[in-house]
Amino acid sequence: MTGDKLIEVKNLKKYYNKGSLHALDDVSVNINKGDVMVVIGPSGSGKSTLLRSLNLLEVPTEGSIWFHGVDITKKKYKDETGAVVKVNIDTHREKMGMVFQHFNLFPHKTILDNMILAPMKVKKMSKQDATEKAMSLLKRVGLEDRADAYPIQLSGGQKQRIAIVRALMMDPEVMLFDEPTSALDPEMVGEVLEVMKELATEGMTMVVVTHEMGFAREVGNRVVFMADGKILEEAAPEKLFDHPCHPRLQDFLSKVL
Amino acid sequence: MLSIEGFQKTLKYWTMFEEGLVCTVMLSLFTVLFGFILAMIIALMRMSKSHILKGVSSVYVEVFRATPLMVQLFIVYHVLLADIDLPTFKMFGFIRFERFIPGVIALSLNSAAYLSEIIRSGIQSIDLGQTEASRSLGMSQWQTMQHVVLPQAIKNILPAIANEFVTIIKESSICWTIGVQEIMSAVNSVKAATFTIAEALIIAACVYFCLTFPTSKIIAYFERRMSRGDRR
Repeated sequence: MTGDKLIEVKNLKKYYNKGSLHALDDVSVNINKGDVMVVIGPSGSGKSTLLRSLNLLEVPTEGSIWFHGVDITKKKYKDETGAVVKVNIDTHREKMGMVFQHFNLFPHKTILDNMILAPMKVKKMSKQDATEKAMSLLKRVGLEDRADAYPIQLSGGQKQRIAIVRALMMDPEVMLFDEPTSALDPEMVGEVLEVMKELATEGMTMVVVTHEMGFAREVGNRVVFMADGKILEEAAPEKLFDHPCHPRLQDFLSKVL
Repeated sequence: MLSIEGFQKTLKYWTMFEEGLVCTVMLSLFTVLFGFILAMIIALMRMSKSHILKGVSSVYVEVFRATPLMVQLFIVYHVLLADIDLPTFKMFGFIRFERFIPGVIALSLNSAAYLSEIIRSGIQSIDLGQTEASRSLGMSQWQTMQHVVLPQAIKNILPAIANEFVTIIKESSICWTIGVQEIMSAVNSVKAATFTIAEALIIAACVYFCLTFPTSKIIAYFERRMSRGDRR
C-alpha cells in the first residue's frame, strides 16, 4: 500500500501583503498512499496554510501541487493526446476530505442532512443510498441515535466526529485534518483522536496538522516539523521526537513535551 | 372633521377602495417578485471578483438610494417609457396595465437597491468556514450558495426583508401620482365626488394597516420555523 505517490507538492510558496509575509517559503513534500503524515510546529509556521493549499482553499502564489498526475494549481493542462483539459477543482476536492478546527457543520441542517447533502448533489447518489451509508457511518462512530439532531444539540467532540464521517461520505482518497482537536474541551479530545486512529489503522491516507504530540508519535508514520513557512525537519516519529536535529525543533519540543 | 355622515358618504364608494386594495396588493406582489430577483443579481454582482460588475452594481445601489422614489417613478413613466406604447388592457377589469407596469418597474428598481444591500450583508455574515466546508466536499460555488450559504443568510435577514416588504406596500401608494388606481387614488376620487377627505384617509390607513400587519406576522412565522437549528 504505502509507497505510491498520491500528492506531490513542489516548491510551494504563499505570500501575503504583497510579498512581505511568507506563509509558505518553498515547501516541497510528497504524500504517499497510506501515509499518516503529521505536521507540527509553532503557530504561524505555515502548517495550516500548507494543509489548506492541498485542496486549494488557499491559492498558492507559486509552485505546484500534483494530484493524480495533474497540477491542480493550473487552470488547464494538456492530456496525453495534447488536448487542453480544464482542471475542475471540485472533482479533486471530492477526493480530499477535510476536517476543520471549528467543525463547520451546516447549522441549518440535521446531522443526517449534513452528511447526505454533498453525496446527493455531487455524486448524484439517491437519497435512500446516501441515508443508508450515512447511518452505517454514524453507527461506526456511535452516533446513530443523533441522526435527526441539529449540530447545535451536539457536544464539540460529537460535532467533530460528525465532521469526520461527513467527509468520509464522499469516499475520499486522502483526509486532511486542520487542528481537529484544538477547539475541543480536553475531555473530548480522546474520542476524536480515537476515530482518527481507527481511520489510520484502516489504511486511510491522512495529513494531520495537530498539537497532539502523543497522537503524532503513536499514529503517524511521518512527522514534519515546520517553522517560518519552511519544512525544517522530517522523520519517522521515534526519530524526530527522540533525536531531534534542528535547534528550532529541539526548542519547540522542549516547550510542548 | 370626522362624522358618521362623512363615513356613510365615503363608504358608498367602497368598491373603489376594494379595487384599490387589489391594485396595491398586485403592485406589491409584482414589486417583491421582480425586486427580489433583481436584488439577488445585484448582490451577487457586488460580491463578484470582476471590477466592472462590482462598479456597475455599486453605482446602481448608490444612485437609487440617493434619489427620491417619486423622481425615479416620474423618470420611468415620463421619460423611459414615454415613447413606448404599452398594451392598454385592464387587469381584473379595472387595473390599467399601461399605468400599472411603470409603477411596478420603478418600485422594483428602487426596492432592489435596498434589498440587494440586505442580501449582501446577509451572505457576508455567514462564516467563511461554511463555504470552505461545502467546497471541500466537492460542491461547486453555486451549489454552496444554494444549499449552504443562502438558506442561512435568508434566515438571518428575514426581519430586514420583512421590513422592506412592508415598506414596498406603503410606498406603492406613490403610484397614485401616475394614475395607478390603488388605495390612495380611491381617496382622491372620493374627495372629488363628495368634497370630504378625512374619512376616506382614515379608511385608507385602515386598509393599509390590514395589509402590512398580517404580512409582518406571516414572515415572523417563517422566521420561527427556519430557526429550528438554533435551539438546543
